[in-house]
Amino acid sequence: MKRMLVCTKVLLLVAALALISNPSGASEKITVMNPAIANPAVDRVALTKRLDSLDNKTLYLVDINWGGPDAAYGVFAEMKIWFSENMPGVNIVLKRKSGSYMSDDPALWKEIGEKGDAAVIGISG
Amino acid sequence: MKYAVGYNISNVTGMPVRFVGFPFPVAGQPQEVHRRYVRGNDMLSGKPMMQTVIDYLTKPRTEEEKYTGPAPAPTPEPRFLPADTEENLRRFFKEKDWTDYNPIILPTAEKVNAMLEGTSRQPDEVVVVLTWPGGERKFTVEKAAICAVMAGARPEYFPLILALGTQVGSFGNSTSSMANIILVNGPIRNELGMNYKGNAMGPHNEVNSVLGRVFTIMAKTAGNIHHGVTTFSTLGSNLQYNNLCIAENEEALPEGWKPYHVRMRFKPNDSTVTVGRGWTYISGVGEAQKAYPPHLLMRDYMRSLAAIGGGTVIMDPTVAALLKDNYGMETKDDLSKWLADNVEKTVDSFFGNGVAATMYIPMAMQGLKPFADYLEMPGDTLIKPLSARGINILAVGGEIQTTWFVTDFSLGRPVSVDEWR
Repeated sequence: MKRMLVCTKVLLLVAALALISNPSGASEKITVMNPAIANPAVDRVALTKRLDSLDNKTLYLVDINWGGPDAAYGVFAEMKIWFSENMPGVNIVLKRKSGSYMSDDPALWKEIGEKGDAAVIGISG
Repeated sequence: MKYAVGYNISNVTGMPVRFVGFPFPVAGQPQEVHRRYVRGNDMLSGKPMMQTVIDYLTKPRTEEEKYTGPAPAPTPEPRFLPADTEENLRRFFKEKDWTDYNPIILPTAEKVNAMLEGTSRQPDEVVVVLTWPGGERKFTVEKAAICAVMAGARPEYFPLILALGTQVGSFGNSTSSMANIILVNGPIRNELGMNYKGNAMGPHNEVNSVLGRVFTIMAKTAGNIHHGVTTFSTLGSNLQYNNLCIAENEEALPEGWKPYHVRMRFKPNDSTVTVGRGWTYISGVGEAQKAYPPHLLMRDYMRSLAAIGGGTVIMDPTVAALLKDNYGMETKDDLSKWLADNVEKTVDSFFGNGVAATMYIPMAMQGLKPFADYLEMPGDTLIKPLSARGINILAVGGEIQTTWFVTDFSLGRPVSVDEWR
């Protein structure tokens, strides 16, 4: 009887050790498929050439209409005040683009191209 | 802020735009706050805002900024991930933000192949070409099968999941914290055993649960929707765990009330899935009252939700029967029209909604009606901003209680499931 108990204890110990060393096959390596898709970037377009300075230049501040009429426009209005106080030589033109922030405004881009030297466009989030 | 400095430059605009980052929120703030932003620091560089603006307009371009031509090749995504233990792979999937952080089924080739048996389509067929963020990415049948396995789907669900996969590019993503709705119509509901009766909108059915979940997993893997990188919802939405996945109780619709897909010119025996977007819903709470019948209360609640021209009412079929038998709503269109004619808001309240202000004030400024007219009116003028076409009516539920939800979800066009069998 005592011998049987010893054997049983040994068997239980072996089983326990086996479970510790490989609990339900946890260390076994498996291969799974990749859900991700390679994320190509769009073709690149160079940034427009920068100005040497803003003195006597015309800078457009363009509200794209995100967030309603009192969002970016108010920020740009404050930027205009800052320029008048700190860099009065810069001619600031404050504009709202036509249509929503998702639509194009070729007429405004044309105007900036013809009359402006640079533009700051925003703001969205 | 990675959105501006990293992702947007390399993957979205194609031009290495020089961004400055204003603090948020910008909308609805007093001028003093805007003044503080302008005289404070750029959120991206940490330097004074205006000096940064001037630098960005005048500092010569770097060689990288001068480059015009093809983009560098993307980091390849191998078909199989390196072999690893189950525990490590589970951790890896979470680190990649490919899950909804509930346990997933790991997509072994064996399981994915079994899923592919659920359709006649080939693994390399394209379900949809995704164009945001970055360049074109082909979401294939095999990638959809991987997502389906991860979500716990069975192969018989796969045609429905493929049809749903065509819509993954429109997953709700906005700082305003959008959610999605998934609507299933036609015989596929019964073939798969979807629940459109009692507790249809609760966690009590495998198909409803898995289908809603797989849409989010597809968006987070193929769709590349990741918090802080490509999605910046300020609150987020708990509805994105299941995407308000429902099937219409077509069998219990009163005579004359057509299922959504039939209203959208599909045949009754066509199986379809429809995806929509919105934000929230309000419950009618409890049983309908004779003294103030459901359509009046729906009207009242829709005033709160009337943001962008439409909405969806989800009602128990008993409400549909009540409205038809006692209040003259012979069809869904009758109820849609009645709501459009009776939901009123003040002009101020209408434009007080940020989405309406963003979308419609610019249109008003272009002279487009009716928004241009609204803008001319005193702020307390009552307007009727909803259109009957934009108000959808759905019957869902177990005919137990005359309860309904009014929502601000707009539904898209149904997609055929049968084409993906």
